[in-house]
Amino acid sequence: MTFLTIIVRGLLRRPVRTGLTLVGISIGIAAVVALVGISRGFEQSWAKGMQARGTDIVVSTMGSGLAPKPFDASVRDQIAAVPGVAAVCPIFVDLTSIESSSMMIVSSREWGGFSWQNLKLLSGRMPKDAMEPVVVLGQNAAEVLEKKLGDPIQIEARELTVVGIVDGGALVENGSVILSLPLYQEISGNQGKINVVDVRATAGASEEAIKKLCAEINQVVTEAKALPAGENVGNSQAYKFISAMSWGTSLLAVIVGVLGVMNTMLMTVFERKQEICILLAIGWKRSRIIRMVLLESALLGFLGGIAGVLIGSMTVKVLETLPAIHGLLEPDLSPRLMAISVAISVIVGVISGIYPAWRSSRLNPSLAMQG
Amino acid sequence: MNPTETIAEASGTGDSIFDVRGLKKEFDDGSVQALRGVDLQIHQGEFVAITGPSGCGKSTLLQMLGALDAPSAGTLNYRGRSLPDLADPAAYRAKEVGIIFQAFHLLPTFTAVENVQMPMFETDRPASERREHAISLLKSVGLEHRIHHFPTKLSGGERQRVAIARSLANGPSVLLADEPTGNLDSENAHIILDLIIRLHREQMMTMVLVTHDPTIAARASRVIRMMDGRIRSDSNTSS
Repeated sequence: MTFLTIIVRGLLRRPVRTGLTLVGISIGIAAVVALVGISRGFEQSWAKGMQARGTDIVVSTMGSGLAPKPFDASVRDQIAAVPGVAAVCPIFVDLTSIESSSMMIVSSREWGGFSWQNLKLLSGRMPKDAMEPVVVLGQNAAEVLEKKLGDPIQIEARELTVVGIVDGGALVENGSVILSLPLYQEISGNQGKINVVDVRATAGASEEAIKKLCAEINQVVTEAKALPAGENVGNSQAYKFISAMSWGTSLLAVIVGVLGVMNTMLMTVFERKQEICILLAIGWKRSRIIRMVLLESALLGFLGGIAGVLIGSMTVKVLETLPAIHGLLEPDLSPRLMAISVAISVIVGVISGIYPAWRSSRLNPSLAMQG
Repeated sequence: MNPTETIAEASGTGDSIFDVRGLKKEFDDGSVQALRGVDLQIHQGEFVAITGPSGCGKSTLLQMLGALDAPSAGTLNYRGRSLPDLADPAAYRAKEVGIIFQAFHLLPTFTAVENVQMPMFETDRPASERREHAISLLKSVGLEHRIHHFPTKLSGGERQRVAIARSLANGPSVLLADEPTGNLDSENAHIILDLIIRLHREQMMTMVLVTHDPTIAARASRVIRMMDGRIRSDSNTSS
């Protein structure tokens, strides 16, 4: 028998209570995994999408909405004139309801711009010209909207035709309805407006050079802000809000978990008051009693963390299959997030055990003589 | 062993183990005076029975000797060291004394052999050695066939034998027993008392046993009678 045997036996003493506590803490950790995983996945999906479009810098106004605010299309030429800029592609991106899907990315790009070049045609064809009333669908978008080549698709008041299915190389691209910029400007009533400019730096530009180029663009452009592609979404107010909400909700769930574990450990200590006194009476040091309670509590946290990671991952997988979300999100269920979640859970366990451990160490061993 | 045999002939060697002077213990801000000035010396190898009616302070005195609680006044020395001033009273309880309780106080979720190992966690013994030693102690109290039983599956006498084996885990020189036969029928009471007497004889352990049963007290080498927190009589039956 080792000290760990004593810890495990302590938890198995009341299996139902231990089980319920584990459920409580695991729900908290599942919330962390699911919410944070989704919000971080959202950021990563956009970053990958920009990478797939061959974009080094994104110029936009990532404000309080999920889609950037429109600005004048003349910004395109201002940016193109900045030394070090190899190519620009103005875009009007929107998040809107299309037919059966409540939220779909509509990505309209300058006809002939470089953002078209990385789209790999899986079937059909690309639009013939800038004003042909057609769209190409990312393969996930086609699946979500249940569209095939030749099908009509209603965007705002216009009925367009699906002429191609493409692989964009990233979830965001594959979840998009892609069409020509002037066509969408006309459909949406945003003539002369864009809300994103994809910028490609000259070949071989270092990370440092890209940051410098952003600063130079920001000196020229006042309507929008240039950021390296990977940082664009993370700097958006909307993303920051979603991220803060995710962590806030997770924190609440974790606090509930802390209270649950603390309650269980306090009950355990009260219930085992005489046993603890006996252990003190037969020579256990108070520090060993503290270690015993803290380790029990930490083990509860660890097991709750493992269960929480599993529940959270499964929840996210189920959510991914929902029509409203499918193709839009690529949750970040990285080993790092899971390790952080389990670590949070263990810390929760230890913190929850501090007060019960302190209480148990204050017990008087002479109480062992009573009863 | 004959259950009526006394150990009167096995008296102490003369070296003082406990030296108690003017020991007082008060509870509830002095409204309860459990010990009202106890003077006492217990010598190496003595078998001392402390008797008296309920509430006379005998168990409180045993708690003081076991460093389970601190006195309110007076001096209490163990081998010349002041017990209340020990830097590490847990080490004293773990290694110098073994304590046997009236209600056995085994941990219900651990088997007999696991219960016996408990005090050994405060030593450097590795896990395998702890286990082997616990088994040998259980054999010495006649429970080799019960080592994997949980306390609920043991009789009262068997539980107390496990508790005795536990009290011997770290080889103490003093055994403190609080009514060790109080929860047992007469047959098991004799078995336990014989076991305690045997340990005293074979290992020359100092025994301090609290009992209200005069027949048990009669088998000790020295009987201390307490009343109202004071010692009323102290007789050496071997003399």
